[in-house]
Amino acid sequence: MLTAVKNQLRVCLLSIKYNIMREMLNKVTFLTNICFMMLNNASFLVQWAVLFRLKEDIGGYSFREVMLLWGLSASSFGLSHILFARVFSLPELIINGKLDAWLVLPKNVLLGVMTSATRTSAIGDLLYGILVVCLTGFQIKRILLFLLFTVTGAVIITAFALLVGSLSFWFVKTEIFGNQMLNVVISFATYPDGIFKGAAKFLLYSIIPTGMMVYQPVHMITDMDLGGLLMVLGYAVLLSVIAAAVFYRGLRNYSSGNLMGARV
Amino acid sequence: MRKYAVIYRSVFLENLQYTMNIALGLISYFIFIFVFINLWGYLYAEPGTRIAGYTREQMIWYVMITEMLWFGARSGAVAGQVSADIRGGNIAYLMNKPYHYTLYILARYTGEWSIRLPMYMALAVAAGIMMVGKLPGFGLPALLSSAVSILLGVTINGVFKICISLLSFWIEDANPFQWLYDKLILIVGTVFPIEIFPEAMRPFLKMTPIYTVCYGPAKLAVDFRMDQYLDILLAQFLYLAAGCGLMFFIYEKGVKKLYVNGG
Repeated sequence: MLTAVKNQLRVCLLSIKYNIMREMLNKVTFLTNICFMMLNNASFLVQWAVLFRLKEDIGGYSFREVMLLWGLSASSFGLSHILFARVFSLPELIINGKLDAWLVLPKNVLLGVMTSATRTSAIGDLLYGILVVCLTGFQIKRILLFLLFTVTGAVIITAFALLVGSLSFWFVKTEIFGNQMLNVVISFATYPDGIFKGAAKFLLYSIIPTGMMVYQPVHMITDMDLGGLLMVLGYAVLLSVIAAAVFYRGLRNYSSGNLMGARV
Repeated sequence: MRKYAVIYRSVFLENLQYTMNIALGLISYFIFIFVFINLWGYLYAEPGTRIAGYTREQMIWYVMITEMLWFGARSGAVAGQVSADIRGGNIAYLMNKPYHYTLYILARYTGEWSIRLPMYMALAVAAGIMMVGKLPGFGLPALLSSAVSILLGVTINGVFKICISLLSFWIEDANPFQWLYDKLILIVGTVFPIEIFPEAMRPFLKMTPIYTVCYGPAKLAVDFRMDQYLDILLAQFLYLAAGCGLMFFIYEKGVKKLYVNGG
């Protein structure tokens, strides 16, 4: 059992390694993608600098906390897209019957699919997040917590993408709907939760995973609390289990395409 | 011109088949609007507040119009297609057709936004009236002037995006430059008007595409003044002429670098 898990992990890590090596074939494009994504994220500093000129705190957040929020969103999104980028295009694989390639492999189907692609620009997102947390207060405890919540955030957004992407096993139009739902999560993730009230705030901490992905972690990086930490970990595990269950249930409905192709 | 009208018509009819897909895209726009209504609601918490000369209603309507332009003018033709044509070699088949490649792309782009933009506009008007209320002082002059300005602004945006995509002749992937341009428009141009920036920055911002692509059309809708309309219109015509010149120049330079791999 342990050997099987070890082998599976080794395959996943090799897959990720080769994905990154493939992306590095053109070094100029690789580096341009990373640097420009960091610049792209940094450009939002202008927006917040202007808004904080109008009011000292926005939704209970200071400028530093908003930067932390941004950093955590970027790094979670980045880590998720470095390791599991294929999850975000899962509907396309399902609708076009392209899952066959993984179904015939003697390894876990879901992990095989998830780790089969990477997005170069996501490395820029991850690096930007780490840079931001270092610049907004260099403390070992703070950085360790940030890294922990980057992992939980990546797990949460990946699981959410898997969940909405798996709906394509049943409905065709969910491809666009799923993308829209992911946009919703990301759009909310870069604004302080204090500006939302009532039902919107409730949704952000329940059905829409933004609350557990970034809001709660940012509160805990500034003011650690064990209960909150367990809640985030529990939410990440629960969402992952539900997403994997929905994927495997949907896989029973999967019908292969007659497309011939080669994976090199 | 007739051949471009035919291209426009065929793309328009093709996109008409996908209105349901476009309608699903409205979710993102609605969420953006919702976030900004909350954000500006928070900043305008005290009644009667004016920020940079704008009332709460004007500010939210300004953001709704600029975001509508940003979402409504998003197009696969000017960004993804040009880059893919150059990188994949498809441009070799398109450049010897009896049309100018860049104008062909511009006609496709116009066909795309002609469907998208009115749909976003309908949602913007409905959501705006329900969530913020009617725009004070909005009349026929504001409607007509902003309609002309929107038309020009969206076209300028397309021309500049084509210019950026044409950089694929030299670098393999022009996407990073597209991100930066999009972010310039999105962050500096759509979230708040130019007046909110420090006075020293305003002349510089007026020279960027922000002034002609999003600030101009939205400003005319929320606060119409004839002198300002003429200013914006002049800037838009100058920008369009310069943008088209640049587009043809980059294209002519770029195709000289093209070589055929065969296959």
